[in-house]
Amino acid sequence: MLETFNSLMMGFAVAFDPKVFMYAVGGCIIGTLVGMMPGLGPLAGISLLLPATFGLNPIIAIVLLAGVYYGAMYGGSTTSILMRIPGEAASVMTCVDGYAMTQNGRAGPALAIAAIGSFFAGTVGVIGLMLMAPTLASFALRFGPPEYTALLLMGLFVLAYMSGGSMLKTLAMAFFGLLLGMIGIDVMSGYTRFSFGMVELGDGVGIVPVAVGLFGISEILMTAGQAEPPKVQRPKLRELIPSREEFRLSLGPIVRGSLLGFAIGIIPGSAHVISSFVSYGVERRLSKHPERFGKGAIEGVAGPESANNSAATGAFVPMLALGIPTGPVTAVMIAAIMVHGILPGPMLIQQQPDLFWGFVASMYVGNLVLLILNLPMVGLFVNLLRIPYAYLYPCVLAFCILGCYSVSNSVTDVWIMLAMGAIGYGLRKFGFDLAPVALGLVLGPMLELSLRQSLALSGGTYGIFLERPIALTMFVLALVLLAFALKPVIFKGKDWRAGVGLDDPPPG
Amino acid sequence: MTDTPESPAPDARGDRGGGLKSDRLSGLVLLALAGWIVWLNREFPVGTLADPGPGYVPLLLAVGLGAIGLLVALFGGDSQPLRDIRWTEARRAVVILVACGALTFALERIGYRLSVFAFLVFFLGVVERKKPLPMLLVAAGFSMASFYVVADLLGVPLPRGPWGF
Repeated sequence: MLETFNSLMMGFAVAFDPKVFMYAVGGCIIGTLVGMMPGLGPLAGISLLLPATFGLNPIIAIVLLAGVYYGAMYGGSTTSILMRIPGEAASVMTCVDGYAMTQNGRAGPALAIAAIGSFFAGTVGVIGLMLMAPTLASFALRFGPPEYTALLLMGLFVLAYMSGGSMLKTLAMAFFGLLLGMIGIDVMSGYTRFSFGMVELGDGVGIVPVAVGLFGISEILMTAGQAEPPKVQRPKLRELIPSREEFRLSLGPIVRGSLLGFAIGIIPGSAHVISSFVSYGVERRLSKHPERFGKGAIEGVAGPESANNSAATGAFVPMLALGIPTGPVTAVMIAAIMVHGILPGPMLIQQQPDLFWGFVASMYVGNLVLLILNLPMVGLFVNLLRIPYAYLYPCVLAFCILGCYSVSNSVTDVWIMLAMGAIGYGLRKFGFDLAPVALGLVLGPMLELSLRQSLALSGGTYGIFLERPIALTMFVLALVLLAFALKPVIFKGKDWRAGVGLDDPPPG
Repeated sequence: MTDTPESPAPDARGDRGGGLKSDRLSGLVLLALAGWIVWLNREFPVGTLADPGPGYVPLLLAVGLGAIGLLVALFGGDSQPLRDIRWTEARRAVVILVACGALTFALERIGYRLSVFAFLVFFLGVVERKKPLPMLLVAAGFSMASFYVVADLLGVPLPRGPWGF
């Protein structure tokens, strides 16, 4: 414990370095603005900023990108509450009661509780990250190729089980992503696969064009030609203070949402999205007056907002400790760290303690900065929402192309992004979740390498996965989840999604 | 808003109308995609279990995708009928994709600033029918300002046209 405290103090020394601090604050502000803009979620924001981090030192780069990430989670709630437009997917549930509160003249308290809940959840998440990541990393040092294979496969099954939509369709998208990850030179044999003679595809398909295409471009294609957004309210500072009753009602949901969000955040998939749905469902179920939900219940804002912010931090645990992304955002962040020659994984905390602890400390600082900056400045930030969408979306498109091109100065990447945008548009029309595609793309090469190494180690028998206790445990867990997931498909029953309202359109 | 499935879950829809169902079509497309990948994969040695070749994992994944596609099609009887999927924004989406393609084509040929300026003039003037003055101000302002921030301040190299602009 003392060692953790000393390491954290070292991290604070890094985080309070004026340059690092400035970038953390900058990241939070950019993230808040990005999170508020429809069509530019945290993923697109991070992807667009990625090339600008190449010239920075790795600590500043990750602090800046993490600031954008949790700033965007925070900013997404503002548009949800004031305009019923979720700036990013995790804020969908906040729309329901947040906007109802705005209609009831309680926009200020809704924003304040969302901010306070986000701050509390972010802090809980960082404490969890601080305590769990080093322990998990030392445990993961025992992992060999069979354990990594089992871990990656278990992650994919957990992703399918926990996804917001159909398990089969989620698995299909994960396989599609894994197959995209097969494009390019095979590191073990030197064969160039599925490149259709294009030299540019030798290095494979990058995560940035795929992620920006699937999430940024497809979003704009879906919203093309939409009506002008409704008028925006600008709450004044004195209107932000919640009543004592609102504080009392919010306390439980904030604590529950924070703990729930962190636990779900560690799981692969759209964890922050799922956590907000699950938290909303839990709060509705626990409430003595569930009929208030959908009509402006502050618990419906406090729980989901806390959960999605905590989940955003929880996602960093497997990323930093195991080197495994849990979603597209962490996948892009791994790419950002690897550009600097640093490999996230079990050795990261030992080999780069200043990076890990500086990052953890900067998250404490960032959360505080967001709370201090965003509440008083909410009136200023909402001015961004006054820009007519007709002016906004062509500029966002140009930004997407600019960001994608500048990652490796490659027009091919831009073509891939546009193709993925069109594919993403079609997939969304048919009700497919897109996050597993991006996740599969990153996990594909890892899974292939560890599987082939495992088979080579065992002399060609799959029995190696049954002989190693850690790998066996993970496989058993994966099979149990698969069985649970298949049960409602085969027997036409309802699964956990129905319990938290993921199968039903949100009320209101 | 970015990755939420647009169509409600099959149970919620409960639509048992006639015609081809969306999940049946999706499943068949996935199956066809898997078949195509297996066909492409024939060029790469699959190897043996003790020494898997470059074609081994893609083959496993393609077979997995095909099997899942088949299951999606088989269990897709309760999904939304294809004719119920609304494509109201499709025409605008095609225009956007074609314009983005044109910008991508022009980017390294006439430079970032000119191509983005033309792109924004097209969108604001032709597609959105905005007044000429704000259209020109936004197009010129955005192309110049974004170039200045990204290329000059952040040091990210962006393409310049044959006129050095």
